[in-house]
Amino acid sequence: MEQYVRGMSRVCDAMALMAAVFLAVAAVVICWMVLYRTLGYSTSWELELSVFLMVCSLFLASPYTLKTKGHVGVDLLSVYLPPSAARALVGLTLVVGLAATLFLGTLGLEFTMDSFMKGERTESVWAPYKWPLYATMPIGLFMTSAQYVAEIMVFFRPELQEQPA
Amino acid sequence: MNELQIGGLILLVTLVVLFSGLPIAWGLTLVAAGFLVAFNGVGSLANIPLVMIDELASFALLTIPLFILLGAAIGSTNAGRDIYESLHRWLDRVPGGLVIANILACGLFSAISGSSPATAAAIGKAGVPEMIQRGIPVRLATGSVCAGGTLGILIPPSITMILYGIATETSIGRLFLAGVIPGIMLVLMFAIYAWVASLITGPTGTAAARALAARRYSMKEKFEGLGRVSPFIMIVIMIGYAMYGGIATPSEVAAISAALAMALVVVIYKARTKESQWRIFRETVRESTMILLIIAAAAAFSYMMSLLYVTQTAAQWLVDLGLNRWVLMLAINFFLLIAGMFLPPVAIILMVMPILTPVLEANNFDLIWFAVMLTINMEIGLITPPVGLNLYVLKGVVPSVSIKDILIGSMPFVLLMMLSMVILAFVPDLALWLPNQMMGAAI
Repeated sequence: MEQYVRGMSRVCDAMALMAAVFLAVAAVVICWMVLYRTLGYSTSWELELSVFLMVCSLFLASPYTLKTKGHVGVDLLSVYLPPSAARALVGLTLVVGLAATLFLGTLGLEFTMDSFMKGERTESVWAPYKWPLYATMPIGLFMTSAQYVAEIMVFFRPELQEQPA
Repeated sequence: MNELQIGGLILLVTLVVLFSGLPIAWGLTLVAAGFLVAFNGVGSLANIPLVMIDELASFALLTIPLFILLGAAIGSTNAGRDIYESLHRWLDRVPGGLVIANILACGLFSAISGSSPATAAAIGKAGVPEMIQRGIPVRLATGSVCAGGTLGILIPPSITMILYGIATETSIGRLFLAGVIPGIMLVLMFAIYAWVASLITGPTGTAAARALAARRYSMKEKFEGLGRVSPFIMIVIMIGYAMYGGIATPSEVAAISAALAMALVVVIYKARTKESQWRIFRETVRESTMILLIIAAAAAFSYMMSLLYVTQTAAQWLVDLGLNRWVLMLAINFFLLIAGMFLPPVAIILMVMPILTPVLEANNFDLIWFAVMLTINMEIGLITPPVGLNLYVLKGVVPSVSIKDILIGSMPFVLLMMLSMVILAFVPDLALWLPNQMMGAAI
């Protein structure tokens, strides 16, 4: 259990690092696009690539966002509940969160497979395949589910919680 | 069940799900999926990923992570302290000069960052302890930064305005400009209040605190301070020039200014270690993911509302009520005020605007003007319990001060924000004049 929680933590960090690189590349691509256009050339792939990178970045960073309690929720009901019920509610939201990410990840996977089978491309001049973009949705969400499992473990055994560096 | 009854049921279920503490992004998606299955069959679930990715795959949305990167880069440095410190040097003879300097610094930082908590944290982490050290009453010190921080979503660039622009299909450039004069007006109102409050209270604190507060600065020191702020002023000018000089779109400006800010942070603030740069990006992807996933989920929610014909029916019902337009505006703002106390602006805008847009248009309200009203309203939500994000940001910055003191200190500023909304209702040109001057009258 401890190894799983620690291992997931590393995976979340690695995925966030990848997301950060994607976002940084998107910024650089846009700067390049503005410069290239200012010099009088026409641009083709830059705009689409930067949008793709942003979407990939957000799904890849989702497990890390969960690990660092970044997915905002409004825990108003627990304020009015006795401590034991409030704790049960926290546990329930973790299980529902796990179910939600598994459900969305499955929908995303079906959607990606469908796009892959049809060989869908965007309608731009560059016309890249759509499935690599779509694939980041199930990847990010399934990994968020895996992080939810780690969160549930920590819920039952708080001593497993990693201390921030 | 008719559409209005379904709408009522959706509202009830959504509130219960969201208040349970489940992340908003998952909560909205589950509610959307549940109602789609219940009233439209399992088949419509297949469209959810398409709706979510379609919403996200927008060049305009790129402004959000990039402006967050800009704010995180500047916020990771001592820039906040530098800004208020240099402003304070020019206001050393004014009663409450340090408080006013902090409020002005919030305004200036807002012109770099599009986020209110980021503004409150950047200015507050150095500004509030400094004010308390110099004998400024705790409530005034914390309240001024807590409220000043909210300017982050009014003064451009503003994440709230970007989302409003996407939700209502209004020009983001025009929305940004609409926030400028009301933003300056609020800064001035806050500053005047701080000045009057300081005059009434007079010098407070220990002898050491008073001596510290009485310190005067030479002209050399004043200009030295100005030098440190100039790079930020340069970024603000560059953002304005690129966006309104027709050189670049908001997303392009966001990318260029984020890259510039990173360079500034590395060169001036010596953030050259991998760890310091990783911290900036870590913060950026975390906040961006939270906001963008709520946007995607809100798109699925709006899709469900529209498919079940609830959006259209609710809008028509509001129009058919035949209320006096100002009574309607008051009712809308009251609803938004209550919603803002519980939910973040991102979720409110994306869930509510599809219903409100046709109602506002039917009642001849200008959508650009309303964006400013809504943003100020959302600002109030950021400093009122139970979910006033800025209250908690300030509490994190100065743990020794109680939430109650921060809240009481913020209340006069809440009243000033409400007053500014009344002024805007009477003088809509405060929001509309600048965009009309710079971009021509809206069609």
